[in-house]
Amino acid sequence: MKIFKFAFGAMLFVFASSFAQNDIKPERKPGHTNQNKFKQLYDEFATPNMFRTGSGAPGPAYYQQQADYKMDIEIDDVNARLYGQETITYTNNSPDELTYLWVQLDQNMRAKDSKTPLINSSGIGPATSASRAARSYLKEPFDGGFNIEYVKDTNNKDLPHTINRTMMRVELPKPMKTGDQFSFKIKWWYNINDHVRDGGRSGYEYFEENDNRIYVMAQFYPRMAVYNDVEGWQNSQFWGRDEFALPFGNFDVNITVPADHILDGTGYLTNREEVYTKKMMERYNKAKTSYDKPVMIVTEDEARKTEKSKSTKKKTWKLSAQMVRDFGFATSRKFIWDMMAVKIGDKDVMAVSMYSKEGNPLWEQWSTRTVASTLKSYSRMTFDYPYHKAISVHAPMGMEYPMICYNFGRPDENGNYSDRTKYGMISVIIHEVGHNFFPMIVNSDERQWTWMDEGLNTFVQYIAEQDFGEWNPTALSPGHDKYPSRRGPAKNIVRYMGGDQDFIAPIMTKGLNTYQFGSNAYSKPATGLNILRETIMGRDLFDYAFKEYARRWMFKHPTPEDFFRTMEDASAVDLDWFWRGWFYTTDYTDIGIKEVKKFAVTNNPNENGKKLAERYNMDPNALVYFIGEGEEGYEDALNSASTMEDFATVKEYIMDNFTPEQQKNMKKTPKYFYQVTFDKPGGLVMPLIVEYKYSDGSKEKITYPAQIWRLNDKEVSRAIATDKEIVSITVDPDLETADIDTSNNSWPREVQESDFDKFKNQIKN
Amino acid sequence: MKSTYLILTLIIGLLLSSSNTKHEYYVSVTNIEYAKEQQSVQIISQIFIDDFESLIRQRYDETITLAEADEPAIVDEYMKRYLEDKLKIKINEKSYEFNFLGKEYKEDITYCYLEIENIKDIKSISVINRILFDILPDQQNIVRLKMLDKNKSFLLIPENDECMLNFN
Repeated sequence: MKIFKFAFGAMLFVFASSFAQNDIKPERKPGHTNQNKFKQLYDEFATPNMFRTGSGAPGPAYYQQQADYKMDIEIDDVNARLYGQETITYTNNSPDELTYLWVQLDQNMRAKDSKTPLINSSGIGPATSASRAARSYLKEPFDGGFNIEYVKDTNNKDLPHTINRTMMRVELPKPMKTGDQFSFKIKWWYNINDHVRDGGRSGYEYFEENDNRIYVMAQFYPRMAVYNDVEGWQNSQFWGRDEFALPFGNFDVNITVPADHILDGTGYLTNREEVYTKKMMERYNKAKTSYDKPVMIVTEDEARKTEKSKSTKKKTWKLSAQMVRDFGFATSRKFIWDMMAVKIGDKDVMAVSMYSKEGNPLWEQWSTRTVASTLKSYSRMTFDYPYHKAISVHAPMGMEYPMICYNFGRPDENGNYSDRTKYGMISVIIHEVGHNFFPMIVNSDERQWTWMDEGLNTFVQYIAEQDFGEWNPTALSPGHDKYPSRRGPAKNIVRYMGGDQDFIAPIMTKGLNTYQFGSNAYSKPATGLNILRETIMGRDLFDYAFKEYARRWMFKHPTPEDFFRTMEDASAVDLDWFWRGWFYTTDYTDIGIKEVKKFAVTNNPNENGKKLAERYNMDPNALVYFIGEGEEGYEDALNSASTMEDFATVKEYIMDNFTPEQQKNMKKTPKYFYQVTFDKPGGLVMPLIVEYKYSDGSKEKITYPAQIWRLNDKEVSRAIATDKEIVSITVDPDLETADIDTSNNSWPREVQESDFDKFKNQIKN
Repeated sequence: MKSTYLILTLIIGLLLSSSNTKHEYYVSVTNIEYAKEQQSVQIISQIFIDDFESLIRQRYDETITLAEADEPAIVDEYMKRYLEDKLKIKINEKSYEFNFLGKEYKEDITYCYLEIENIKDIKSISVINRILFDILPDQQNIVRLKMLDKNKSFLLIPENDECMLNFN
């Protein structure tokens, strides 16, 4: 033991110097409300109710709506158009009576009259490229909005409806009561966007060679909005950034495409025998039991041959999905296709990849293996992946839908790729496949809270990346012994946390209105969870609570409070202070060492000590005195003292109050006494992690819980008594708290070289 | 957009589309400090690697990939040439050239180290920063000036690309 515990309760140990008399009365300050950083979040959190409980679980009256779809879709590959007809069956499980429904028309974001371009500020620079100028100022805007041909009930009677940009209100013939179902039909078409040229989370990529397209489709159909106890109708417009809020339901979708296309999407393929060749069927059956390497369903050679011609025939692929919140599919004659089974719990899941020759050799090597690895990691951290497959499609974007996602990562024309391309591809696949868990199954409201899916997903992504590196060492580049994750470790967020406050928003901000979207909605929440797991709660408590949140809200719609409350409810760790600081403010961590004072112990009081004894009317001989470095008598005391036990008062006290047995087991008595004052220039509360280094070379790390700051948010002191001399003290030695300024973290103060000088010296050598 | 990951080729000219980009908030940060004892003005410019790569590919050489083990030495030349062109610094109303000491990559950012030596005193400093304005219409450049007890940040945009500080 190095730190002596002050166990002698009755004895009066006084730090003589800390009792300086202060007779000047301060000016009376005005009163205040509870500003304590540990104040519970009663004001910020919604009041628990029958829908959502104080524990963070769904309440006894929790409900969610259901939307089931039957669709017939056709893609016109010549004109790049999508034609669709759907019957939506909506079930009102809410206790409320509904007089209208809201349907989302996301593609209207690309309508000619879309207001999306109008909400971004723009300026005219002194020069711009001719092609950009032409696109910005001359070109007729692309019209990619929905053309709604009709909205009818099942008796083919037109339903009155009103389109407000990306939202459509459909009037119900009669109000829907609790438990009522209502079916209606919509017919539409739209021009599919080139997502490489015009952006978007859906669309086609065009290949000049052989005049081909790869379609990665989503938001292609009018989709029901969410109605719930928190928002009523979530009909906040789609501006292009904030993603989606969608109810669960069942889908039966028939998709007609050119006969030479390969297609896969959300759900079970119900007419596999019709659309597969015999050879494909054989390979598919083989893939069902291939757990260690992907089986090619369509080989690169076959795909290269197919993409050279165009079939004029059509083929219809039939997909059926249960309990999904959305539907996506990818189709092209360019696709290479491989599959591999992966065991999740006692179930087989198929890991699938679709890519064109442009993705190889990277894709055939790592895509499907990454999918399988991701499903294992996420299932361990949450719940067993409940769907039967997960598909990764090669497309220059990163976007997720149930069971299917679109991922970038393309070698150059010669098949060469950089480390950045390889790791970028693996990371994006892990990320997008991971989105199956958040928000496809733990179905949070992305339109309002980007961080709830992105932050949680990015957090698990970090764990899954580390797993992937461990399980697939051959995927790592030479010199890497673990996967080079970019987000997760606390030190990686310092640059953002210490940046200009003018360009930082709290995490609890609607995604559309945040600055530095990636840092705000992805990195910061993910890092916060990582700090909770590694430093504040520990892995066992954290993992149990995180899993409990996922389990409670699987196939349901959680809110931020449901997450915050569950994490505390399942762990008995009060985290309101953490949520408040990390999620509700833009405060940053900065903790330092303000002062270290050494003391010598003596039973000879100096003048200060005598006065003190007099003031408290105590026998000066019954006290032990600590004299601070630099004060009168310090040197004498230091030189004369051997250990504290030598003083008659202490000895007497010990002999009177402890049995000989206890005395024998008493720890070594201290010789060195310190008062260490820590200050906190940063607004964030964090555990105070301190490493003490002693003259004999030994080290001791003590973590004072965050609550040490509860009574004084600016400064706290600790008295240290030890039998060995302290030679240095470091705050947060392992960079666990995202401290933005480490120049004040050590004693004696280390003169830190500036980043500039560090670099300059480095290149000199 | 998701995953904030990005596709380089996509960024360009996508000022109206908000999806698929890695860091929608296009911003570079340039810290300028004055080390009085060393009589040196020390500059660190932080630019996203993918933005810088896309710039170098468009402006100088299509085959360049940044932050790879076999990155060609000419990259430093391109960076130097570009920064000299786009970052203009006047001290006491006189223009100065800086030395390009080098660059390093950390996570997804390029840190460029620049220095102006033999500055005995600073009465005023002005900075024009047009980094990436030529390829990213939404680009914004933060300039932080930290010298002689002053510490001030400026957000520069194409229409307002200059900032200055006076010390009197």
